[in-house]
Amino acid sequence: MAGAKKASALSPAVRKLAALPILVVLGTKRDDGSVQLNPVWFELKDGFFWLNSNTGRLWPKNLQRDRELTMLLVDPKTPDRYAQIKGRLVSLIPDPTAEFIGRLAHRYTGKPFRELEPGEHRVTFKIQPVTVTGQMI
Amino acid sequence: MAVELSPKMQAFTQEVFPALIGTTRKDGSVEMVPVWFEQQDGSFWINGGTNRGWFKHLQRDPRITLLLIDPKNMWRWAQVEGRMVNWAEDPGGEHINHLSHRYMGRDYQNPRTGRIKVQIEPLRVTGAIDGWR
Repeated sequence: MAGAKKASALSPAVRKLAALPILVVLGTKRDDGSVQLNPVWFELKDGFFWLNSNTGRLWPKNLQRDRELTMLLVDPKTPDRYAQIKGRLVSLIPDPTAEFIGRLAHRYTGKPFRELEPGEHRVTFKIQPVTVTGQMI
Repeated sequence: MAVELSPKMQAFTQEVFPALIGTTRKDGSVEMVPVWFEQQDGSFWINGGTNRGWFKHLQRDPRITLLLIDPKNMWRWAQVEGRMVNWAEDPGGEHINHLSHRYMGRDYQNPRTGRIKVQIEPLRVTGAIDGWR
């Protein structure tokens, strides 16, 4: 799985992979500098990665502190085909009516999102891909 | 302190899918890459060339995080926070060949020289396999 190549924009191969209902794995850093990995739902649209979370979780806190993260997409059929994407947080968009997470739920499960829990606040994260490396550019 | 893997984790780590590993570069950013792994006697073992970024990172900062996820069922995953406790040369590529049999069911097809095997001790396990905590 060695031999990474670099590219500045998302290639057709990466865009095709991102169109599948697969998870993206987020790499952020905890306060102590260790790496936090989370598989999450996402959508690639208009050249940006769109993520959504409950504000109480750890990765959104890490991401808001550093304003950057790493994302990994792996081809489910051929795991040594992958794209590692360094991303930058562009903006945070409150999702009070859970509209965007509902859209993601449809993409992944074909069903509406569950009922929000009391005190649960959803937020959408707009991520700009900065560099792409890996075995499928 | 190393943690002991639960029976569910013991079983999950025998399944065949790559581990997605996260290490930190010198500039503080996170590097992620899928690698072959095996779990034996409670430790995780991975293999690579000595020129791999992740191996250089581990020599500076031995902390490593592994994400294990069933490619057929996105709800089955575990995050293992660990650290490199040992590494050794893999003379003749015996270990990479062993991993090749686990993943591909055949001998390793690429050059077997200049490789190392790395032992990772789990310090904390979170995610859906053991239940949320």
